[in-house]
Amino acid sequence: MIDRNQLRNIDWILIGLLVLNSLIGLAFIHSSSHHLYGNYALKQLVWIVVSLSALFLFLSVNYRSLVNYSFYFYVVTVSILAGVLLFGTLTSGAKSWIVLPFFWIQPSEIAKIIVILVLANIFSNYKREYLTVGQALLSSLFVFAPVVLIALQPDLGTALTYIPILMSAFILAGMGRKTLIILVILGLLIGIVGWSVFLKDYQKERITTLVSPEKDPLGAGYHSIQSKIAIGSGGFLGKGYKKGTQSQLRFLPARHTDFILSVIGEEFGFMGVVTMLLCYFLFLSRLFQSVIKARDRTGVYIIFMVALTITFQFGINVFMTIGLFPIAGVPLPLVSYGGSSLLTNYLAVSLVLNVKMRRFVNV
Amino acid sequence: MREKKIYEDLSPLHNKVQLTRFGVLVIFFILLISFWKIQILDHNKFWKQSEANRIREMTLPPQRGLIKDRNGEILATNIASFKASIIRENCRDFEQSCQKISTLLELEPEVLKERIDKYKDLPLFQPIVVKDNLLLEEVSKVKARTIEFPELIIQSEPKRYYPYKSLAAHVIGYLQEISQAEMQSLYKGRQQGDLVGKTGIEREYEEKLVGQKGRILEVVDSVGRRREEISRINPSPGEDIRLTLDFRLQKKADELLEGREGAVVILKPDTGEILALASFPTFDPNKFINRFTPDEWLDLIQSPEFPLENRAIRGLYAPGSIFKLALALGALESKAVSEWKTYYCSGSINLYGNPRACWFRGGHGSMNLYDGIKNSCNIYFYQVGKTMGIEKIAHYSRMLGFGKKTEIDLHGEKMGLVPDPDWKKRVKEEPWYPGETISVSIGQGPITVTPIQVALYTACIANRGKKVIPYLYQKKTLFREDTDLVAIQPDTFEKVIRGMWKSVNDGGTGRGSRVDGFDVCGKTGSTQLVSSATAKKLGVESKIVKTHSWFTGFAPKDNPQIVVTILVEYGGMGGATAAPLARELFHLFRENYDR
Repeated sequence: MIDRNQLRNIDWILIGLLVLNSLIGLAFIHSSSHHLYGNYALKQLVWIVVSLSALFLFLSVNYRSLVNYSFYFYVVTVSILAGVLLFGTLTSGAKSWIVLPFFWIQPSEIAKIIVILVLANIFSNYKREYLTVGQALLSSLFVFAPVVLIALQPDLGTALTYIPILMSAFILAGMGRKTLIILVILGLLIGIVGWSVFLKDYQKERITTLVSPEKDPLGAGYHSIQSKIAIGSGGFLGKGYKKGTQSQLRFLPARHTDFILSVIGEEFGFMGVVTMLLCYFLFLSRLFQSVIKARDRTGVYIIFMVALTITFQFGINVFMTIGLFPIAGVPLPLVSYGGSSLLTNYLAVSLVLNVKMRRFVNV
Repeated sequence: MREKKIYEDLSPLHNKVQLTRFGVLVIFFILLISFWKIQILDHNKFWKQSEANRIREMTLPPQRGLIKDRNGEILATNIASFKASIIRENCRDFEQSCQKISTLLELEPEVLKERIDKYKDLPLFQPIVVKDNLLLEEVSKVKARTIEFPELIIQSEPKRYYPYKSLAAHVIGYLQEISQAEMQSLYKGRQQGDLVGKTGIEREYEEKLVGQKGRILEVVDSVGRRREEISRINPSPGEDIRLTLDFRLQKKADELLEGREGAVVILKPDTGEILALASFPTFDPNKFINRFTPDEWLDLIQSPEFPLENRAIRGLYAPGSIFKLALALGALESKAVSEWKTYYCSGSINLYGNPRACWFRGGHGSMNLYDGIKNSCNIYFYQVGKTMGIEKIAHYSRMLGFGKKTEIDLHGEKMGLVPDPDWKKRVKEEPWYPGETISVSIGQGPITVTPIQVALYTACIANRGKKVIPYLYQKKTLFREDTDLVAIQPDTFEKVIRGMWKSVNDGGTGRGSRVDGFDVCGKTGSTQLVSSATAKKLGVESKIVKTHSWFTGFAPKDNPQIVVTILVEYGGMGGATAAPLARELFHLFRENYDR
């Protein structure tokens, strides 16, 4: 399955950056949850080990085989998502979990990998200069089936993270004026229908209070204010590891998940944030850079979709923590606590490594 | 380099990726600038907010809705009370402050520990109640030491108070702290430490009564003193509930049952409004509104007399002779017996090889339907039951509401049992014996009913066939449409009612309930708990030798306005015990409503 040449071509630096960011996350998961019941840091460590093993295992299968069989995977995945909707376990108001003996798995996260493979398949032979309307609609359809199922769970945050997969495919295919206009109109329509049909009141509130969170400090603006106080009070050097008053004692309810960056900002200050952003940028940058090493169109699509999806989630989460984006329940990839998300991101990076290491093999 | 040629030129794609990568770089710069602004430029502002001033969130408990009787008499209200809570994040040393608090508030250290342990999963900043119903001295003691005890806060909260103590306690119910199981099923979205209705109206209409919590966001200094209030959402009080109960009748019913075990149900036959519903022995619900389990509570749930059980809807009793009315209705309607058909009562009779006695050993002589009801003659009804057969008896008793819930708006109502051959085959896997039909004919044997069922059965007779659903919560519309007629002719009812009238007003077994000029119609019952042979062995001293005493009736005969059903456990003969109690209630009703 893997020959020696391929082994030599594994991008160890990328793996190093991946693990480095995960370990930074682990440290702050520990800091923000050590006084809670549930042993989150230990669980996350187990997930990192599991995900890393999964990453290497996943490398043994040629990405082109994965792409070729992607439609089968897709059918299975969509069925599972529909199944979760019908039979899933309800946690904090959303049906998004499958309960396994030891860990809970969120199929909506893993499904991203399958959608990436399907789009790579659809676009692998697409060589026109611009994206046609037909092609755009076809690929949108493949993305929207799982997105609608996930939005119905209802888990809007995760559904949102599917958008960059489609976006990256469109960017690569190239959009003519006509396609662009149609997409904008479609997007607006979906937005309006979504606002009036799908969004719950609390979600609408989150968006409206974005403009002025201080108006409703107890309601939707609350987390946003608390997060900013945490980050702002950290100052240049921060209050010290495990010494953040906001994150240790305060009100951030999801401080080890969605608001982990606020903890970093409070405890290690601006320097901590800059260091963290630098590590993250190096990781993302190397992901994008990997495109050069792809030998075929399929590979380019896969790498770009993976890179942009992770970047997009990162962006939403960071903007959320500094109050520039509504609280959407999107974790900081690799850093936030959460096994399914971690595993998905590791598998996504595994795909990138897969493309890179098989660059010299004949068809 | 041979391979290179077969690869396609991907450089246009690469350019797009590079462009995106540049965009990402720009975003990172924007982020750096944002963090610079928040962490460096606005640092002082946020630092002050986080350190010098701390924000504390407090819940404001709402006023629970009042419960009133039909005339506005308040049966459940709220009084001011204080509770002390610990905020764990303000503890300097948790163990030490537990010790100090237990001394200050005179709490057992173990009790305190157990209490806090129960809520250990709550966020550290959320107060945990450690003592409620504080005395004023305790309040001032804590208030005077806020510097010493930054972790201890005093909150006022409206506390439920039942001014008439045990009056109608089974109807009103009581509150207790929510349990884990209830948070997951019955009362979703409620918090640990909330008091919720556990029984009665408090439980049934919890959602209406509870109201909406308020919240305060306040700035406190490092020792927990309030500096300013940032925002406040005031609690909105729960909805008041007006019951159909009549305070005077309820009070009287409670007085009459005092010292006995039993139940009283009074209702309006035309609508199903419950005017009084009492069950004895009873309890004082004020004693439960405490977050700690009091000893009294344990005493109550362990008591052999089951004071918490609402006997009116949950007590299962053999109906005894009051069941004879159902038999009479069924027999007339199915034309098994005409009202003038007579049977001779010599005081005993031999049926299916077993001697059966009438309660009147001397014998009643020749009895038709009217005299049979008036004298509650067993021999007459043995014969009627024998002629009808068990299937018909079961059919008519189900039609009249036995064997199923009345659907009163109280939780936990029992169904009772109407036995028939199918039931016996299913449950006991034995065939039905004809002798059992004879026992059922006078309301003995496996048949069981609840007092509320008997009251509704009486209402149906009083209404000449119109069935009603009983209710306690007086909604805006007094009359409910969901009533139905039973398949028995009004004329048949008139005949049975005539028998009931004679029972009370013509020297029958129910004469004890007679009220001058009020035309009471009624029927007594005395249910044997043991056979007469066993009774002899046990002797007169044993409690269970005495029969349960029943009376059920309505008044006036035409245009009935009130139904009274009384059950007194071990009360002796129905005519001797229950009927005179009913008289008092009919009398009081007449004085108040029917002048």
